[in-house]
Amino acid sequence: MEKENEKYNKVLNLLRKSTPLLNSTGDIENEVLIRIKKINQSGVNLSEVIDFLFGWVYIGWVRRSLIAAAMALVVIFVYQQGVILKRIEVLSRQTIIINNGNAASSSDEIDKFLTQFRNSGHRFPSMNITISESQMKELQESFKEMQIKYKDLENIIEGDPDLKKLIEKKLIENNRTKINL
Amino acid sequence: MKRKSIKVILSLILVFVVSCDEPETVVTNYVHPDGSVTRKIEIKNGKNNFKKSDFQVPLDSTWIVKDSIEINQKGDTTWIKRAVKQFKNVDEINIAYKNDSGANKSYSRNAGFRKRFKWFNSEYRFSERIEKLSAFGYPVKDYLNNEELLFFYSPESLKQEKENGPDSLKYRALSDSVKNKTDKWTIRNFISEWTGEFSRLTEGKAGTDISRESLKAREAELEKIIAENDKKFDSLWANGVILKKFIGETNALRYKSEADSAMKLAENIIINNFKDYSLRIVMPGKLIGTNGFIDSSNTLLWPVKSDYFLNEPYEMWAESKTTNSWAWVVSGLFLAFVLTGVIVRIIKKD
Repeated sequence: MEKENEKYNKVLNLLRKSTPLLNSTGDIENEVLIRIKKINQSGVNLSEVIDFLFGWVYIGWVRRSLIAAAMALVVIFVYQQGVILKRIEVLSRQTIIINNGNAASSSDEIDKFLTQFRNSGHRFPSMNITISESQMKELQESFKEMQIKYKDLENIIEGDPDLKKLIEKKLIENNRTKINL
Repeated sequence: MKRKSIKVILSLILVFVVSCDEPETVVTNYVHPDGSVTRKIEIKNGKNNFKKSDFQVPLDSTWIVKDSIEINQKGDTTWIKRAVKQFKNVDEINIAYKNDSGANKSYSRNAGFRKRFKWFNSEYRFSERIEKLSAFGYPVKDYLNNEELLFFYSPESLKQEKENGPDSLKYRALSDSVKNKTDKWTIRNFISEWTGEFSRLTEGKAGTDISRESLKAREAELEKIIAENDKKFDSLWANGVILKKFIGETNALRYKSEADSAMKLAENIIINNFKDYSLRIVMPGKLIGTNGFIDSSNTLLWPVKSDYFLNEPYEMWAESKTTNSWAWVVSGLFLAFVLTGVIVRIIKKD
């Protein structure tokens, strides 16, 4: 046992005497500092993200090009909208609305009219009445409901020739308006 | 050859215009953003007798057709033929016009569509054009002022509405003025057409005294001769008296057959057999330009009459735009990105 302790002490003394040669202690110091810093940091660095995203602002030609492109976009936008507004203004002055024109009364026409109403930013030409969007939707729904009921009625009439004849006769007698069969 | 006096010609034109036997036709083009067109035709007739040869616009078996009737308050029945067809593009419409076998088959008509991408918006233009009939006449704008021109090109319903509206006196006077001026315009066109055709037929045969230029310069003189002899025009023309007065005895005897042929050609152009109809266009998106009228269903409307394309092409056009929402979003994001970059730079500089 004593022999073993003696050997252990000898090896330990040898190891203590043979210290490693450190040529770049500065590097080790820096590495230690970086690792300590990393341990202290938590999450993503905002300034790094900003540098990553907006690094181009430090490159002169990229910065100038992007600013020029942005300005061009603004100019194009203002010009286009200006031209369109002017054309619409001219159009509103020049077009004439015919109150009793050749208006077809098919359901498609009314659907188209409603579509146009929606597309026009819910505005009617100045000559027409003002109506709210909710009223318009109500009208649209009522119309669709009426179309369904009309279809059902049409089917009933079509299925019964006697009824069809009777209705036609009554309509003519009463001088009532149109009927599509 | 039987010839008609100028007044007879005008009367005939009037008869053609007010003829009630023709089916009343309304063509509606629903233009889609991809250039396809849903075309609907509504033909109203007083009789249940629809002949293909009477149709003002091409309509064949490839259309979906629905027949119906309308009974008005007086109990009169109107037969209605409604037809619809989806055209992939305007080329298909043009092919249909080319192969038309209807009443207006001999008239050159075509449709056009253009779509322009303008980043924030897309602009569309749809047009239907009828080529001019006469090569020698005068445009109607030489005879009518702007107000008269607007009245001239107006649909009949609008004319009637104005003539019976609050300013009826003003519009009736305007209507009379337009009628008088267009009568003069028609006579002048007839003369111009005759001189043009006559000089074309005698080209290379006759001397410079009956060249196109010299005859054109003397159109007012011929108009005066016709006006002075209006009542006896038929007999005086047949005897060659008017021709002798205008181009001299030698030329009148020498070119009588050419003069008669030119008269026939001029008659065919002025008294044409075009059957009127109405055209409507529904554009995609918001309307930004047109030369049409807006009817009670908020649709663009044009009357189509032969007077409108007698001496100049008649183009019915409409332009609209749709907003490219995605382009607005992309542009907004790009502007915000650049602006933020500039602000970051300013902050870091400080």
